[in-house]
This record gives sequence, structure tokens and C-alpha cells, in this order.
Amino acid sequence: MNKLLMGLLTLSGVLFAQEIHIPIEKTITHAFKKSVALNAKVIQLSNAQQSITSLVSGHLEKYFVKPAQDVKKGDKIALIESITVSKMSADYIALRKQYRAAQKNYEAVKRLYEKGMTSLQKLNAEAIKKSKISANLTALKSQLETLGINAGKLQHATPNFLLRAHSSGRVAALLKPLHSSVRTDEALVAIVKNQAYYIESFVPIAYAEKIKIGDKIVAEYAGKKIITHATQILPKVDEITQRVVVLSSVDQKVHNLFIDTYVKSTLYFGDAKPYVAVKKSALSFFNNEWVVFVPSEGETAYMPQVVQIITQDDKYVGIKGLQLGEKYVSGESYYVKSALLKSSLGDGD
Amino acid sequence: MLNKLIELSLKYKVLVIVLFLAISAFGYKAYQDIPVDAFPDITPKQVVIFTESPGNSAEDIEKLVTYPIESALSGMAGVKLILSNSIFGLSYVSVFFEDDMDIYFLRQLVSERLSTVSIPKGWGKPVLGPNSTGLGQVFWYEIHDSTGKYTLSQLKEMQKYIVTPLFKSVSGVEEVIGWGGYEKQYNVLIDTKKLQDFSITYEDIVRALQKSNQAAGGQYLEFNKEQYLIRGAGLYKTLDDIRNTVVKSFDGQSVTIGDVAKVQEGKAPRFGSISIDGKEAVMGMVLQRSATNAAKVVERVKERIATVNSALPKGVSIHTLYDRTEITHKAVSTMTEALITGIILVSIVLFLFLFEFRSAFIVILSLPVSLLIAFLLMQYYNVSANLMSLSGLAIAVGMIVDGTVVMVENSFRKLHEAQASEKPYVKLDIVMESAKEVAVPITFAILIIAAVFIPLLSLGGLAGKLYAPMAINIVFVMLGSLFVALVLVPVLILLLLKPAHESENAVMRVIKKFYTPLLLVALDNGKKILLFVSVVFVVLAYVLSQQGREFMPTLNEESIMYRVIAIPGTSLTQSTQTAKKIEKYILKNYPQQIASVLSMIGRSEKGETAQPNYMEILLTLKAENIKDLPALTNKMSEDLEHQFTFVQFVPTQPIAMRIEELLEGVKAELAIKIYGENQKTLDAIAKNIQNAIKNVDGLKMMQIETQLGQAQIKIKPNYLALARYGISVDEVMDVIRYGIGEASVTQKLEGIRSFAIVPKIKGAKKDIEAIKKVTLRAKNGTVVTLDEICDITVQQGASFIKRENLSRYMVLSMDVEGRDMASFVKEANSIIKAKVKMPTGYYMSWAGSFKNMKEATQRLMLIIPITIFLVVLLLFTAFNSISKSLLILLNVPFGFIGGIIALVLSGVYLSVSAIVGFLAIFAIAILNGIVLVSFIDELRGRFPDVDLKIVLKDATLLRLRPVLMTAFTALFGILPLLFATGVGSEIQYPLSVVIAGGIISSTLLTLLILPSTYFLFYGKKK
Repeated sequence: MNKLLMGLLTLSGVLFAQEIHIPIEKTITHAFKKSVALNAKVIQLSNAQQSITSLVSGHLEKYFVKPAQDVKKGDKIALIESITVSKMSADYIALRKQYRAAQKNYEAVKRLYEKGMTSLQKLNAEAIKKSKISANLTALKSQLETLGINAGKLQHATPNFLLRAHSSGRVAALLKPLHSSVRTDEALVAIVKNQAYYIESFVPIAYAEKIKIGDKIVAEYAGKKIITHATQILPKVDEITQRVVVLSSVDQKVHNLFIDTYVKSTLYFGDAKPYVAVKKSALSFFNNEWVVFVPSEGETAYMPQVVQIITQDDKYVGIKGLQLGEKYVSGESYYVKSALLKSSLGDGD
Repeated sequence: MLNKLIELSLKYKVLVIVLFLAISAFGYKAYQDIPVDAFPDITPKQVVIFTESPGNSAEDIEKLVTYPIESALSGMAGVKLILSNSIFGLSYVSVFFEDDMDIYFLRQLVSERLSTVSIPKGWGKPVLGPNSTGLGQVFWYEIHDSTGKYTLSQLKEMQKYIVTPLFKSVSGVEEVIGWGGYEKQYNVLIDTKKLQDFSITYEDIVRALQKSNQAAGGQYLEFNKEQYLIRGAGLYKTLDDIRNTVVKSFDGQSVTIGDVAKVQEGKAPRFGSISIDGKEAVMGMVLQRSATNAAKVVERVKERIATVNSALPKGVSIHTLYDRTEITHKAVSTMTEALITGIILVSIVLFLFLFEFRSAFIVILSLPVSLLIAFLLMQYYNVSANLMSLSGLAIAVGMIVDGTVVMVENSFRKLHEAQASEKPYVKLDIVMESAKEVAVPITFAILIIAAVFIPLLSLGGLAGKLYAPMAINIVFVMLGSLFVALVLVPVLILLLLKPAHESENAVMRVIKKFYTPLLLVALDNGKKILLFVSVVFVVLAYVLSQQGREFMPTLNEESIMYRVIAIPGTSLTQSTQTAKKIEKYILKNYPQQIASVLSMIGRSEKGETAQPNYMEILLTLKAENIKDLPALTNKMSEDLEHQFTFVQFVPTQPIAMRIEELLEGVKAELAIKIYGENQKTLDAIAKNIQNAIKNVDGLKMMQIETQLGQAQIKIKPNYLALARYGISVDEVMDVIRYGIGEASVTQKLEGIRSFAIVPKIKGAKKDIEAIKKVTLRAKNGTVVTLDEICDITVQQGASFIKRENLSRYMVLSMDVEGRDMASFVKEANSIIKAKVKMPTGYYMSWAGSFKNMKEATQRLMLIIPITIFLVVLLLFTAFNSISKSLLILLNVPFGFIGGIIALVLSGVYLSVSAIVGFLAIFAIAILNGIVLVSFIDELRGRFPDVDLKIVLKDATLLRLRPVLMTAFTALFGILPLLFATGVGSEIQYPLSVVIAGGIISSTLLTLLILPSTYFLFYGKKK
């Protein structure tokens, strides 16, 4: 387009004594990239929000985090006193002792067997007993480790269960009050992932057909422009507002971006269509039609040329009715219109 | 009766002297007290009804406001005409009534009728316009800020709340109208896209604003034997109060105005602006109440200025822009000067002819005394001293003395005769006898003069209102002079006059030496001369009928004013800029002549129906540097037209412009009104007429009052779409009315000052696209843009719609130059009839000042024969002879000959003013005839045996002096008007030209032809 502008030839004519400069230009082709201002909302998709649930029932003793605190995977979240954990750890310690005893028994029976002092049947029975305890121990160990308890270091039975973050993010909410009872699988803390924000833009139906995945949507948030790109066009309109919902992911890092904030967004349609265009300042409404004035050889220096407006942006209007490269009055059309209409001026009252 | 009067006066001469001293004293007081004015009150009885209907289009206003008002008012008693104009945002209905009705009663009637009119809510409330006249804008001022500290909004606020109340309380001031600057308002700027965010609708905001700004009285509480009043004070005090207004609340939380909108001070949309010397300004116009005196009102207003200035902040003061009294004083002083110069000239003439101090003194004394009686009568009958009424006196100056001259001359002669006879005589008897002798002819002569001017009183319309005061004053002063001649003069003669030794003076001797041979020739060739004069008269009468006509010569107000018209639909901002450029251009190019330039663009707060494409530019002149005002005006007009080709300049003057407007709403001298329903058809007919007559000779400029041409953005609700989204038309219209149109939903009161609070939609007025994208939220939450629920189109609509007596009309106005209007209209009319086809229901008529001229002429055609009949009747009563009455009447054409020649030679058009001149000649000619014929009769009676020719010759020679005296006094009385140059002189010019010419011919021909005609009439009887 710039090339076209470069090639633009600017002529001019002085029509009036009062030094009113009537600028003359040639029509150009201008690619009209349309944009539309929309209402939008900052959202987070449901998979981006996580809740940390307690794996055991018990009594909530302590939170290690505060809301809005950033946490990393493995960070301590809460301390729960749980009878289950207490029993499990006690069981584990007991089983571990049993296993050691069973191990000793087995080795003693083995030695006896090697000396032929006992039967193979007896040895097998001891082996089965040992593996049974071992299996129980391994299962319990694995359970404890699932709960984040290092079974190997366990010396005494303990009721304390430390709930840890299973992924990085920000604490969105503490869901249970302190010192309350917690059931198994109950969510205690909500964590949101840092980098999973979306702009949910509400697009009038009129533009439904034009919008495409990948179109740029610029949201204005707290005086800052967030550039996003349409990633998803929902198949259902928003029932309340009757608008098409377009999601665009926020790729850049925005500090303190709050969910559910309404923002202004501007949708830029991807493809730019070229049209023969004149400057917006050339338009004039004349005898019930939009016209652009063109230089004329006839009685008057200019005459109105009826045009049809196809599209427009801030500066240019795409029109039908003029050829590419045709000269036209690109500004001060008021004065040209005045000159043409002056003969029919009324009393103005 | 007359004899008795003379006897009584002579008997109680001391009483008579005292009486006249008293009359003179009271007359002088009356002269001092009589209200002065530039013009007689020519405005019709008119009641104007305004309905401000902000933001609405002409078409809708016509249907919903104007028509209901018009139909309610039609059929009222005394209604002559109903005119209306529906423009963008305003309905203007003007009802014209018969002139004899009381304006307060009419306003009462109109109010009663208006109460029956129902106008849809939100479309405005009809109010009566100020009880003022079309010429009521007597004083214009600027609120001048020399510090540069104050904004236009602040100046406007001062105008509205400080200056207006102070001026309005001045006695005689009906209204003070502000113009220019900005009206402050409070904008609640709403981004409607955000309504979704808070789950509210635009309506919620409007309602919240309306509901929150409330006050209530809670009666009282009695406590400890005392009364405590209870007051709910919920009116907005600060902007934060507005911001904290709750729109919606839930769960203990609330959405306030501050959450959804920005609240800030702004400017209300305006329809007019003022620019002075290239800078925007604020001005005010003081309107005088009807039936008050402009000069007095302005005087009182000026007295109030000091108070106003002291109430205004330091550095801000009232600057006068236009003061009606200036022109009033100029006009009155032009006339007073003419009057005084006339008196002096007449006195000199009298002295030269009489050449005797005492008689001259008596005659001259009768002049001021008669005038003082006229002033007394003026005061009694509430006639103001203005251009027209004073000119009546000036015209009459020469005729006032006629009665006295005859009276003094007769007594003088009788006394001379008595002394010459050398018999003893009693002076009283001779004076009484001579007075009685001429009493009847004098009375009749004066009555005839008065009668001749009566037709002017019967003129209807504008002409009548203009010329009636002139006629009334002539009648007043002639009656005064009759009273003086019959009562005072005999007494003065008795007391002062002494028989002179030589009654013939040098001047008369010279005149007689030349005149006598001419008279003899005339007496011998009576028939030939009569025939020749008759032919001349017929030829001249034909010339007169071909002479150009005009209604009234333009009053020179010693000011320059332009009506500047741009194409319809021009924005106020553009017009204001144009005005500034024009002002700067004038100041730059005419620094010597022009002190200041004022432009009034669009319309003021009330009382105007102009659009932003119309402005009036008034120039303040440096009068001392201007030698030739018309030349300067012409040069400037040419310059401006050359420089600013995109607008049209129509030169006018402040009063002239208002008078033009009074001519049935047509601001042009000549116009065609085309009536019919469809504006487009009217437009087409107008164009056809324009094409048909564009080549008619004399047509200088022609313009169709373009009623169409106002671009409109039409927002038409799409009912299907509205149903789809659950939005009512009402909600859409509210968004258009308040959100886009900035109508106020409530007011913020600051003391007594109230300012609109406007829920304005942010960015809605950026361009057409922005309007389309205005967002609405329905109650159910649906969010739509305006173009989703409405069809938004740009189209050309009416910029105004004019109606006359319930029918639409369009005006095609034109300027005719170098040709009289009557013949132009005749030619144009026949061309239109032949070439332009009018569809059924469409018709046209001519309008403008030409119409008044035509009406005046038609009426005169009826009244003049009646007057002639009346005069003949009076003559017949006096002479008891039809033939003598006719003989005297025959004198009239003699006078007309000179009048016509003078008119043609000076190139003056035949106007009502010139017709008044002819009426005066009529009187003078008759007077000359009476003086001569009555004396001839007397001599014939005294010397029945003497040859008629000799009697005629002697009588004529003897009567030469009084005839010449009446002629010369009349001539010299009118001369100051002929040579006057001040304001208003041009209106009297045609009249004085005609009278001057007429007097000369009438006198010459009377002296030559009347005796010979008399001989033709009576010679054979001998």
C-alpha cells in the first residue's frame, strides 16, 4: 500500500479567492483491514485450575501457603493429622519388625535344611511367610510414599500428613478452614497455573463469518495492550449476550492478570481486501446520495460523482463509482459543494 | 358659529392670550415628554408560540408539535394568518391577529387554546414568545472579558444568571435573550460496551440518575415546645454524589455510576454562536415589551448597566453592541432639523413678502403655537415622535401659516383701506369684520387640507401603520393652525397690527412687473392655454403610470449589516469559522472605516428560527472616517462576495431587516410563495419557475429557499430484530435521545443555577460508523449494537418546513434592479402562467414588500375618489356652487404636472411616499384655488358692473401676494426635507421632490390659468 501511496500524485487547484486550497488526488487501491471493538473477559480454562485434595481423611492442622502465593511442585501446602496415617505408619513399623523376624526365621530354617535337619516343606512355608510380610510391607511403603512419607526413615508411628503441591502455580484459594476435619479426596487448596490465561471476546453475529482462528485480538488490560490470537471459536454463542465467543490465549507474561476482569478488546480480521479507495475527507452527501467531487471540463470546475461506499477504515473509504487512478477532490469538499449549491441558496430561515 | 368664536376671542382678548400662553407652556412640556422612536410601531398584532424540542427533526416536529398547535389556534376570533416554521429542534408558530385587538387578551386566548394541545412526552412544551414586537430588539450587548480568564461557558453563565435577571427587572423590558458561548452541563460518559460487565442496562443508569436526585419535605416535629422542620436533602451537590449514585445492588455490593461512567463537566450542544472581531463571544439582546417606548426602555437599561457591571466579576463588563436609540435620535434629529429649518425659511419668506414687522411677527408666531398644539394632541393620542409623525409636521410647516396669512393679509388690507378713506374708524370693528370675512374660507381650506390626508389613515397593513402617524400629525397641526387663525390671530391683529403706509413692498413690485403682461396674455388665450396644459397633463399622467414603483425607499440607518447564507446543512463550527474569517478580513481591509465586526450565527436561545448555515454580520462604523456610506457598502459587498465565494452576502440594515421579516415571513422585497403538500414537488415547481423567468429583464438575483438539503442519519427500528433481542423501541429511542442527543435526564442545582446532567454515550458522535456501533444491553442480558436492531441510513431530509394557514409552502425570493417591481411582476406572472404547470393542489402567490405596495395602491385607488368627492362636497358647501367647486378642482392637475415632472427628472420611483407628496399638492392646489376664486367672487360682488376680465386681472394681482405667500411658504417648508441628508431623509425624499415640483407648477398655473378658466366658465354669462 505504501508503494501505492508513494506513487500518489497530488494535484491541486485554487478555487476560491479566500485561498481555499482544493486538494486533488488520484484514487488508489487500499487494502482494508477491518477491526472491531469488542467486549471481552479474562478467563482461565477449567484444566488450568487445579485443586489439591487430601489423600487421607484427618484433621487439618496447618496451611503452609497463603492465597495468591506462588508455589512450586513439591512445596508443602498443608499439614493434616490423620488416624489413617498414624495407623499406617504404626503398621509399617510393626510389619518391618515382623519382616526382620521372618527373615531371621527363614535363614535359621534354611541353615537347618541345608544340614538336613528339617524338611523342604518347612523351608517353603517360612519363605512364603516372609514374602507375604514383604509384600504387605512393600504395599504399605508404597502407600506411605504416595502420601509423601519416607517409609525408610520412619522410626515411630506418626499421624502427620504433609500435603504438597503437585504442580507449580498460584494459590487461588484455601478451600477448608483450619482445624476442620478432612475427608479423603476432599479439595483443600485451589491452585491456578500461571501461564494459562485466555481472553474471551464476545463477537457480534455480524462478524461471525469473517473471524478465523489465528486472527489477532488485542486486549487492553490496565493500560497495557495484550496481544493474543484467536485459538478457539466456541460452537455455541453466549446465551445471555447472544454473541459469538472467541477464545484467544495470552502468550505473553502479564503480571497480576486477574480472572473475570472485563476488558476492551479489538479484533483484527485476518485478510485485507483491496478496493479502489478515496480519502474519507472526500465524501459529501449531495442530493440524497454519497458523492465524490471530480474535476470537470464543463461549466463548473468540479462535478459530483455518485459513489457507493463498500467499506471504510479510519482514513480511507472503499468505493464503487470511480476508476483506479481517477482524479478526485480529496478534501474541503464542503467548499466545492457550496460552489455548486450556492445558486439555490435559500433564506436560511 | 365661527363669527361668534371670533367675537368672543376679540372680547376676551386677555383671556385668549393667557389661554395661548398656557397652551404653549403645556405644548412645550408635551414636546419634551413625547416618547421618541425611529419608526411608528408597524408590527402586526402577533402571538408567537415556541416549542423547543431538542434534537428532533423538522419532519417529526411538524407532525407532532407544529400541526397540533396550528390546528388548535386556527379558528380563533380575530386570527388573520397563521405562519409556522418547523426546524431542527424547534417549532415556531406565529399567529397574526386583527390590529384592533388587545395583545394581552390575545395572549390569554392563545394560552387557553394551547392548554388543549397534547404533545407527546419528551417532545417539548409550547410556550408563548416574548410579548415584544418584531422591532423589539432595542439593545444588544457583549459580556466582555478584558482579563481573558473566563471561559465562554463561564461568560454564558454570567449572562444567564447575573445579567439577565438585572436587565429583565428594568421597566419595559420583556425578555433578555442570550446568544453565543456554551451552556455548561454535566456529562455522565458511559461506555455502553461495559454495561455487560455490570449486568445493567442504559435504562438503569437513566433511572438511577433521575431517582437519586431528589428532595423532599418531611413537615415538622414538635420538640420541647418548638417546631423543627424536616427536610430531605437528596439533591446532587458534588460530582461525587453523581458518581456514588447506585445503579444496582446485590449481596451488599453495589454498582455505582462511578463504576460504569466518567462524570465530568461538559458543554451542551448549541444552535448558535457569536463571534466578535474574530473571537467567539457571548452577547445578550434586550427585548422591549410591546407598546413601550424604545428610547425610554433603552435609557433605563443603560442606567442599569452600572449595577450590572458592579455585579460582574472584575474585568468583565457590559459592552454595547447596538443601541436602537442611536438611530432613533438620528432620525428624530433629522426631522427636527428639517422642521426648524422649515420654520426659519418660512419666517424669512413671510417677512420678505409682508415686509412689515408686525404682521410678519403675527404670522410667524402662529407657526410654533400651532406646532405646540399638535404636540399636545400627539401626547393626548399617544403618537410618538418618530420619522413619520415628525415628517408630517415638517410637510405641514408651509401650510400651517396659510390661514394666518389670509387672516392677517385681509385685516392689513382693510385697515389700510380704512386709514386711506380718512374716515374715523374703530379698529375692533374692522378687525372683527375682516376676520369674519375670511373665517369661512380659511376654515374650509384647512378642513380640505386635513381631509386630503385622511386617505392615508385608511391605508391598511404596513403602509397604513407607517403613514398614519404622518397623516394624523398633519391633521393635528392643521387643526391647531385653524384654532390659532380663528382665535389667537384676530386678537394679535387687534393688539399689534397698525395700518401701514405702504402695503406694497419692493419684492411684490418686481414680481408684479413680470407677472402682469403674462396674465393679460393668459386671459386672452384662455382656451388655447387650457388645451395645451390638458394635453401636457394627459401625457404626463401616462408617463407617471409607466414610472417604476416601490413600496418604501430604504431607510438609511447609517450602518452596514449582512445576512450571510451558506449551503443548508452547514455545521455550526464551519459557520463560526467562516464568520471569524470574514471578521478578520473586514478588519484587515477596512481598518479606517470599521471599528468592530459582530457575527450572530445560527439562532439565539429563543425567538429565532435560523439554522447554523445562516448568520447576520453587523459592522460598527467609524462614522467620522466615512464620507460615502453607500459607496463603502457597495465596495465591501463586492469585496466580500469575491473573497468568500462559498457563501452568499445580502446587505441589509438592522431595522430594515426586521421590517423585511415582518412582511409575512419573507425576507425579500419580492418573492413567490408556492403552496402544496409535498416538499419535493414544491421544490420542482420552484425550479421550473426559476427556469421560466430567469431571463426576465431586471431580475438581479433569484433564490429558492432550499427547504430540503439537510442530511439526516435516520435510525429506524427494525421490529423483528427488536423482538429477537427483547429490546423495546422505547429503550432505543432513549438511547438516541439521551445517549446520543444529550438530552438532560435531571438537573444539578448550584444555588439557583441549574445544569443538565446528561447520560452521554462515549464516542457516539465520532462519525456515522460510531453511531452504528453504539451498544445496547437488553434487560435479559443480550448485547446488541444499534445497527443490529435498527436500519441506519443517511438521507436528505427537510431542513425546515414552513406552513401558512395550515398549508406547506416554499419561497422563491428575488431581487429586481433597474426596473419597477409592478411591471416585473406583471411580465413574470404571465410567463409563469404560460410555461409552468402546477399540479392539482398546488398554487402560487406573490409576496414580499411588493405585495404591500400593491395593496396600498389598490386601496388608494378606492380612497382617492372618495376623498375627491369629500373635497368637492366641502367646496360646494363653501361656495354653494358646483361649477366653482369644479373650477377649483381643476387646479389639481396643474399641481400634478410639476409633481410628475419633478418625480421623473429626479428618477425617483413612485412610492407611497411620493403618493403622499401628490396628496399634499392636491391640498395646496385647492388652497391656491380657494384663495383666488373666493376673492374674485368678492370683487365681482362689490363691482358687479365692471368687465369680468378687469375684475379678474385686478383680483389676481391683488391676490398675488397671498397666493405666492402660501406657495412659497409651502415650498420653503418642504425644502429642508428635500435637502436633508441625515438618517431617515431618504424616506421623505420622494415626497419632497413631488411637493416641490407640484408647488411650482400649481402656483404658476393657478395664477395664469385659473383666471382664464374662470373667464371661460363665467365670461359668457356676462
